[in-house]
Amino acid sequence: MSAVSSSSWLYGAIQRRRNRGLGGLYLIVAAFLILYAVLFPGILSVGGFSKFTQNWFPLALVTMAQALLMLNGGITLAIGPLVSLGAVIAATTMDGVFGVPGGIVAVALTGLAIGAVIGAIVAHLRLPAIIVTLAGSFIITGVALILLPRPGGFIPGWLSNTLAGHTPVAFLLLVVVLVAWKAFLATPLGLGIYAAGDNPVGAFRSGVPVERAKVVAFALSGLLAALAGLFVAAQTGSGDPVIGTPFTLNSIAAAVLGGVGFLGGKGTMRGAICGSLLLSVMINVMFFLGFPPVAQYIAQGLIIVGAVAVPELLKAWRAKR
Amino acid sequence: MMDQKPLLEARQVFKGFFGNPVLKGVDIALRPGRVHALLGENGAGKSTLINLLSGALQPDSGTIAVDGKPVGRFSPAAARASGIAVVQQELSLTADLSIAENIGLGAFPRRFGLIDYAELHRGVRDVCAMVGLTEPLDMPVADLALGRRQMVEIAKALYRKPRVLILDEPTSSLSAHEAGILAGLIETLRDRGTALLYISHRLNEVQALCSHVTVLKDGGVTADQSLSGIDGEGLVRLMVGRETGDLFPPRASANPGALRVEVEGFSAGLVRDIGFSGRAGEIVGIGGLVGQGQEDLLLGLYGAIPAKAAKAEVSSKPGLPANVGAANAAGLVYVPADRKHEGLVLPHSIASNLILPSLGRLARNGFRDRAGEAGLIAELAKRLTIKGDVARPVQALSGGNQQKVALAKWLPLDPSVLLLNDPTRGVDIETKREIYLMLRGFAAEGRLVIIASSDTPELVHLCDRVVVLREGRVAAELAGEAISEEAIVGAAMGIDRKGAAA
Repeated sequence: MSAVSSSSWLYGAIQRRRNRGLGGLYLIVAAFLILYAVLFPGILSVGGFSKFTQNWFPLALVTMAQALLMLNGGITLAIGPLVSLGAVIAATTMDGVFGVPGGIVAVALTGLAIGAVIGAIVAHLRLPAIIVTLAGSFIITGVALILLPRPGGFIPGWLSNTLAGHTPVAFLLLVVVLVAWKAFLATPLGLGIYAAGDNPVGAFRSGVPVERAKVVAFALSGLLAALAGLFVAAQTGSGDPVIGTPFTLNSIAAAVLGGVGFLGGKGTMRGAICGSLLLSVMINVMFFLGFPPVAQYIAQGLIIVGAVAVPELLKAWRAKR
Repeated sequence: MMDQKPLLEARQVFKGFFGNPVLKGVDIALRPGRVHALLGENGAGKSTLINLLSGALQPDSGTIAVDGKPVGRFSPAAARASGIAVVQQELSLTADLSIAENIGLGAFPRRFGLIDYAELHRGVRDVCAMVGLTEPLDMPVADLALGRRQMVEIAKALYRKPRVLILDEPTSSLSAHEAGILAGLIETLRDRGTALLYISHRLNEVQALCSHVTVLKDGGVTADQSLSGIDGEGLVRLMVGRETGDLFPPRASANPGALRVEVEGFSAGLVRDIGFSGRAGEIVGIGGLVGQGQEDLLLGLYGAIPAKAAKAEVSSKPGLPANVGAANAAGLVYVPADRKHEGLVLPHSIASNLILPSLGRLARNGFRDRAGEAGLIAELAKRLTIKGDVARPVQALSGGNQQKVALAKWLPLDPSVLLLNDPTRGVDIETKREIYLMLRGFAAEGRLVIIASSDTPELVHLCDRVVVLREGRVAAELAGEAISEEAIVGAAMGIDRKGAAA
C-alpha cells in the first residue's frame, strides 16, 4: 500500500468516489439551471436567487427526510402530514410565552418524537414501514386538523421576512443542514444506517445496533419534515393543516430522481439533494415555458420513470455488448 | 501438547426453530493455538452452532462460556468484546460502502464521536497487507469480485484482533492463490495462540490445517477427537450413516424404457457443459453440496432459465424447451423447493391450488367447468390421500401435505417427466414415506422422475441412478450397487474414490 499518511486521505478519497455515477445527474441539473437562468435572468440577482432557493428549500428538506429512510431500507408516507403538523405547531405556539424560540423547539421536538415512535414501531414490532407510516399519516393529519381546523394562526412578520425575504437565509440554512448530515454520516451510527439498509443481517452480525439505527433514522426524518413545515409556515405567514400534502410524493420522486434505490443502502444524499433541485427547477422551467398544469404533471411523471429506466436500460445494453 | 483452557465453549446447547430441533445437546471447546474443524452434512446444525458461538442467536438451553465462565445474554457486540470474530459464509458486507468502511463497520475507532478515518486507515492497511488485498481502500465493495469480497470479510474479522476466529466455508469462493494466503494466515494465527474453528466441505483443507475435529450429525455430536491418523474416507464415515428403517419402498427391478431426456454439452446457470440423460421408468437423483448447480440443471431443462446444449432431445423432440409453456406442452413439470413461494398460492383453498394448471384445459367456451373441476379435485385428493375438506386454505396443511398438493396439481397434465427440487425438505417422516411411494408409483407408470435432493439417504435408497454435481460439473455418476452414502458424500466433497468417478 502507498504510505500516504495524511489524516484526511482516506476520508477524502471515499468522498470523491461517492460522486461516481452521479456525473450524468450533475450535468442534467446544470443544464436545467442554465436553461432557467436564460429564461429568467432574475435568478442571478440576490433577490431572485433568494426566492428560488426559498422555493427549493422545503423540498430539499423533505427529500433528505425521505432519502434517509430509503437508504435505511424503509420509506415514509408521513412526510406531508408532518410538514402540515410542523406548520400548524409553529403557527399556534409562537404567540405563547416562549415566543419564537419556544415555537421552534416545539416543532423540532414534535418531529423527533413522532419519528422516534414510528421508528420504534417499525424496528421493534417488525412491521412494514409503508403501512406504519400510512397509518401515521392519517393520525398526524387528524391531530393537525384538531389543533388548527382552518388555516390561520400567528407567525411574527420579522420571522417571515428573515426566512423568506430578500436574503438567501434559506440557502445558508440548507448549507448548515448539509454540513450536519456530513458530520452525522461520519459517525459509526450514520454509516450504520447505510449498512443496515443494504445488509441488515450482516450489519447485525458485525455489531451494528440495527434497531437503534432505524429508530434514529426515523427520528431525524421526522425532525427534517417538521422543520420544513416551520419554514412553509413562515413563507406563507400562517399555519395550514393540509399544506404539506404534495410533499409526500414529491419527496419520493426527488429521491428517486437522485438515484436513491428502493431496497436500501443504494444511493447518496448528495444525489437526493440534486434530485430535489432538479425537480424544483423542472417545475419552474415548465411554468415559465407556459406548460398547462396537466402537461406539467404528465411531463414530471415521464421524467421520473425515465430517470429510473434509463440507467437500467444502459446497464442491460452494456451487459449485452 | 499442553491441554490449555478453552477460550470459548458451548456446553450441552439445544436450539430449535418453530418446534423443529436443530441442535440437541452439543458440546464444543475451542482451545488457544489449535485449529478445530467442524464437519457435518447439509442441515446438520453447523450454521446454528456458529450463530450461538458468535452471539447472533441465543440457545434454548445450555450455556456458552468464555474463558470458562458462562456468559448470560450473548450478543454480537458482546462476542466482539470477548475477542470472538466470525468470517460468515453469507457475507456481512455493505456493497456501497468502501473496503475500509466495511472492514471497520461495528468496530470503528472514534475521535470526538466521529469515525477516526486516520486511525481506521492505519488498522485497515495492516490487515489488508496480511490477507494480500491490494485494491484501493476507498473502493466500494460492489466493484470487487466475489473472491475478493471474501478476502475483505476475512480482513474484517482480523481487524477485530480476535482471540477466537470462526471461519465458515471461507474458501468456497476463493482462488487457489487466495486459499493459499488464507492457509498461511491460519497457521500464523494458530502459532500466535488464536483459537480457530474451521468449517469447510473441502476435506483436504481440513486435513492440512486442522488438528482436532467435531462432527455434527442431525443436531448431535458424533465425534470429538484428534485428527491424527484419520484419512479422508475416515472423515466421510464419521459424517454419514443413519438408520433408514423401512422408510423407502423397495426398488423395482431396473427396467428402464425409452430415452425421455438426453442432453450433451448442457450449460445453464451454474451448470457447465455436462451430459445428462434419463429414461422412462427411472428415478434419477441429483446430489451434491448446496448450490452446486442442482436447481439450475432442473430449471434449465424446464426452460425457466436460459440454457444451451450442444445436443438435446427432450420427450422425443430435438432441442431444449424454449420456455415453461413449451416444457409443459412437452410433458415436463417442475415442483420447486420453495413450495410456499413458488409452488402454491397459500391463502387459496386446496381445491383451487389443485386445479390451477388444469383451469384452461377444463374450460368450455371460456367459462369454467365447475362439474369437471369438482370431479378432478375429488380424484386427485383420493389419489394423494389428502384427507378432510378441500375448501380449507393450503396454508392450514402441514409442510408434507402442502408438498403433496404442489405435486398433485400437475398430475392431470399426465406428465412424462417430473422435475422435483428437494421435495421432502421439511417434511415429516410419515409423509416422506407417502411421497416416496408416490414417486415409485410414477416411475412404475413409465414416467421419468428427476429429483434433486440434499438428503443423502433419499438419493441412496430411492433413486435408480445418482448424478453428483460439484461446481457445476458432474463429479460422479452412480448406479445400482455403487450408490452409497460414502460414495455420494465423497464425490460431493471432491475425494477421489477408486471406481466411483464417472
